[in-house]
This record gives sequence, structure tokens and C-alpha cells, in this order.
Amino acid sequence: MTDGEDGGGTTRLGAPRVGVHFDHPDRTYAPQDSLTAAYEVEGVAVADIRAIERSVVWYTEGKGEEDLGVHHFDRLEGAAALRAALPAGSVSLRLPPSPLSYEGVVVKIRWCVRIRLFFAAGRDYVSEHVFDLGDVPPSRGTVERLA
Amino acid sequence: MTVVPIRQRWASNPFSTRHVRPGSIAPLDVTGHPLDIPALVARLAALGGSAAIVGPHGSGKTTLLMTIADALEAQGGRVARVRLRESRDLVGLLRAIAACARGGTACVDSAERTGSIVGAGMRLAAWLVGARMLETAHRRGPSPTLFECATSARLLAAIVERLPCRSVEDAVSPVDVAAAFEASRGDIREALFLLYDRFERRARHPCREAGGGEADGASRVRS
Repeated sequence: MTDGEDGGGTTRLGAPRVGVHFDHPDRTYAPQDSLTAAYEVEGVAVADIRAIERSVVWYTEGKGEEDLGVHHFDRLEGAAALRAALPAGSVSLRLPPSPLSYEGVVVKIRWCVRIRLFFAAGRDYVSEHVFDLGDVPPSRGTVERLA
Repeated sequence: MTVVPIRQRWASNPFSTRHVRPGSIAPLDVTGHPLDIPALVARLAALGGSAAIVGPHGSGKTTLLMTIADALEAQGGRVARVRLRESRDLVGLLRAIAACARGGTACVDSAERTGSIVGAGMRLAAWLVGARMLETAHRRGPSPTLFECATSARLLAAIVERLPCRSVEDAVSPVDVAAAFEASRGDIREALFLLYDRFERRARHPCREAGGGEADGASRVRS
């Protein structure tokens, strides 16, 4: 279960930080573009990490049930693999044609690079970094709200 | 085309399902303080492992059920989770009872949907195979009550305070929270839906990652 949600608060894990740099500075990709995301993990000793999962997923966000699709996933564990992936590494892949990112009022479709760290102490830390697939305009209601 | 600033575009609504679904927020009591889960697990054991979590709609029964299921698993217990929504879910319930034979715990959400006769049959089946059943229900029934959930405006405020996005305090005021509680007649789930809409109607701001990482995404620590 989640016991230390984000919000700038401290966590009992010494507040790990994951920064992600996208090769498209505006974080907008066309369908079937290639994507490279470089990440860097800070604030935690690499020796305390027993595995890292790197994924690229889409999910819906709204008031109802959520859908989730995993486009890319890898899990690295073991000293040699972790040495190559921590504290910094990158993920490169070709994006699919759909679903396109969408910013609606009732539902949103979001793509993100997700970095998940598993600690020897048995906890895990998830960091998600959103990007856009496609350039679908936000719904009219959303534009009015954000204007 | 209207250009929406990138960070506003990606702002997460803190009242969306991913942030408020059962399991995302620790169970709180009516005063807004965390429930003592180890004590409830011990009480469940003292009751023989089978009991009910009772309370009205949107009072946190499912949240508590899932949290206790997690706690039982963390202790090495065998747990199956079932959510009864329609009649075909009964097959899932039977499977869960079978999977929990000889000491496991079937955690059954909305058990009363089975009806009293089928429910009695399920409890009998569980007893026959040595499975335990922890269920949620709207009112007291044949199973001993483990905990009675109740809501208050203070509880809703405490839940909102625990949401992951700092922007919540900018878009939703304590007055909004109190109004949502009143409008939902104490149904916390419904109140969170109302606050989702309220948030969408206000300007949104980006979430910040713990410790000041990039400001576009959520992060969380799990046990």
C-alpha cells in the first residue's frame, strides 16, 4: 500500500528523487516516433536498491475505472545490471500509433515514463513523468478552465 | 489552436480514481486519525478470522477491507479478494473460498449483494472447507462486526489533506470540502467525485515530485 505519497513531504526512504530528461524538450511525440528518456536517481544509495523497473505506459485518469496499457517494460536486478542502470540510465523505444494523449474533463489519457525502484528494505518507489503522444487539442471545457 | 502551458496540461486531478481508490489512502477513523490496523487484525483473529466491516455507502469499508487484506498477506496469510457487483461474480466468490480452504481468508466486498440465502450458503461453504471470510456490508448481519465505519466532515478534510498533489489546496478550499460533504450526505466517495468536478472547474497547477524532482509526475513510496 502507499504510505508516503508525494506532495513535497518527506518519506522514510530518505526522499529519493528521479529526474527524467526527454529528447523532445516539449515532451510531445508524434505517433511512431522514437523516444529516448534519460533518467537520474538521486537521494538514495544505489546499494540500497535491489531492482529497477523502467516502463512506458499509458493510463486513463478520471472519476471512473482506469485503463492501463504497458508499451515498454524491463526489470533489472543483480549487481551487474544495476551498475549499468543506476544512478543514471536511459530508455529508448519506438512509440505506437495510439492511443493518443487527451486532456478531457471527464477522462484524460496520459502517457508516462515510469521508473520504479525496489529497495532491499522491501519498499518501492514509483516516479512517473508525463509526455504527450500526438497533438490532440484539449477538450473545449479544459481549455476554458485553464485559460 | 489554444496553447495550454505544458505543466498545467499535465496537472493531475488529485481527486481522480488513481489517487483516491481504495488502497491509495490509509484508512482513517471518523475523527480523521489513522486506524490501528495491527489491532484490527488481532481483533479479527480473536473473532475466529471471519467478520464483517459494516457501514453506509462511501464510508471506507472497501478501503479498510483492502488494507486488512494487505496486512494479512504481509503476515504470510493466504488471501483472495472478491468484489461482488453482479450475479456472475458468485463464481469468483466460490473460487475464492476454494482458494482459501484450510486457513486462508476470502475478502469479499459487498457481500450482501448475494442476498441472505446465498450469503448463508457461502458462509457455510467457507466453514466446510475451513476458509475464513472478511466481508463488507451496509448493516450488521450474521457475521460478527469487526469495525463499524462512519463518516464526518473532519474525516473528508483529513483525506483531502493526504492527497498527493500540493495544488489541491489552491483549487479546493476547506469550505468546498465541507460543502461537498454536505451535498453528498456523508458519502465520502460521492464527495470526492464532487471535489473532482470542483477541481476541474478551477485552474490547476502541477504536482511536484517529492523532494523537488521534475514537476510533471506523481511519485509514491509503497511498503
